[in-house]
Amino acid sequence: MAEKPRIALVVGSGSVKCAAALGLWKALDHEGIPIDMLVGCSGGSIYASTMSLGFSLDECIEYTQTLWNEKVTNEKNWRAMLSAVFPKMFKFGHDFGMISDRQMMKNLHQVFGDKTFADTKIPLTIMTTDFYTGEQVPLSSGKIVDAIRASIAIPFIWSAHRVGDRVLIDGAASNPMPVDIAIKEGAEVILAMGFQAPLPSKVRSVSRYAFHINGIMTNNLYQSNFAFHNAVHHAEIIPIFPDFERSIRLFDTDQIPYAIEQGEKATQEQIPYIRKLLNL
Amino acid sequence: MEINITKGNVDIIAVSGSIDALTSSELVKTLNDHIHDGHPNVIVDFGKVEFMSSAGLRAILASVKEARAAGGDFRLASPQPGIDKVLKMAGFYNIVKIYPTVEEALASFG
Repeated sequence: MAEKPRIALVVGSGSVKCAAALGLWKALDHEGIPIDMLVGCSGGSIYASTMSLGFSLDECIEYTQTLWNEKVTNEKNWRAMLSAVFPKMFKFGHDFGMISDRQMMKNLHQVFGDKTFADTKIPLTIMTTDFYTGEQVPLSSGKIVDAIRASIAIPFIWSAHRVGDRVLIDGAASNPMPVDIAIKEGAEVILAMGFQAPLPSKVRSVSRYAFHINGIMTNNLYQSNFAFHNAVHHAEIIPIFPDFERSIRLFDTDQIPYAIEQGEKATQEQIPYIRKLLNL
Repeated sequence: MEINITKGNVDIIAVSGSIDALTSSELVKTLNDHIHDGHPNVIVDFGKVEFMSSAGLRAILASVKEARAAGGDFRLASPQPGIDKVLKMAGFYNIVKIYPTVEEALASFG
């Protein structure tokens, strides 16, 4: 391994749980361990973006609470729902999503404005998926708002988002924990923080049903990708899986401080090894 | 990382500490030497393993292959919850026989 290996932080999908990445950031910052690149997917793209832009930890917490709260699901997309029943009359298409993205876009603009990937202090890649081909589409240029909006386009819930000539959806649909992006970019040490989607025991609405099916598929894809990249690559992948004794659902933003705490704790356990590996 | 071997009908190899990029080659060498020394059946006791990175997972895979190529098997016992989570996430429960205790792993060899 090189004298100063390149270190990447990959934050996988996982909605509010991804806030644990801020705890990881805090622990690394305390030790003076710098990150050379950031990769985010779905919920993880929000945290990876705030960190890459050089916001302070307090700003990151404040901004993510602004971005990710229950208000973003309050407005239903009635036209889309009608299009599911009357596809011709209401022109069903790739813009189907049960929830309107108006509040989400407003929140994203409030935090990121017109910032682009060129404004980042640490190189950033955000994972998305091409709606039509299913291909993984890692974004590392253009507006950050567009990349995050595409990366969090959870199937059935939020509509696909057009970026350039591609129609993009949730990165978790193709690569929920994109450690391969970090490997491809030359990272030798990869801190991989990922989360399994919670699967409720009762499913009593169409939206919950959609979340549930999506969660099953994402969890299996996540495990397959993780297994493959661990087995075949030379890079040192350090899994950082925080323990959550409390149940954290999609919009439990009041649990952000707890998620940060658990992320910090899980990282602190790996600090001695990380220091040794980085020759610090 | 420390490795202790207890001889028996099936040898038990107890590992403690961290299995990572700095230690995994030592583990692979010890396990493979042991397998090729006429002990293709091994139980690796993970009860005191505190951390495992991708290098650790690759070390297990390498030794599982060696044991099976030599006509035996590599079985893993008593992983702690944090390690168990990594093993599950990496799909190891599908390809390696993993038991909650060393006794159960021993019994599995009949």
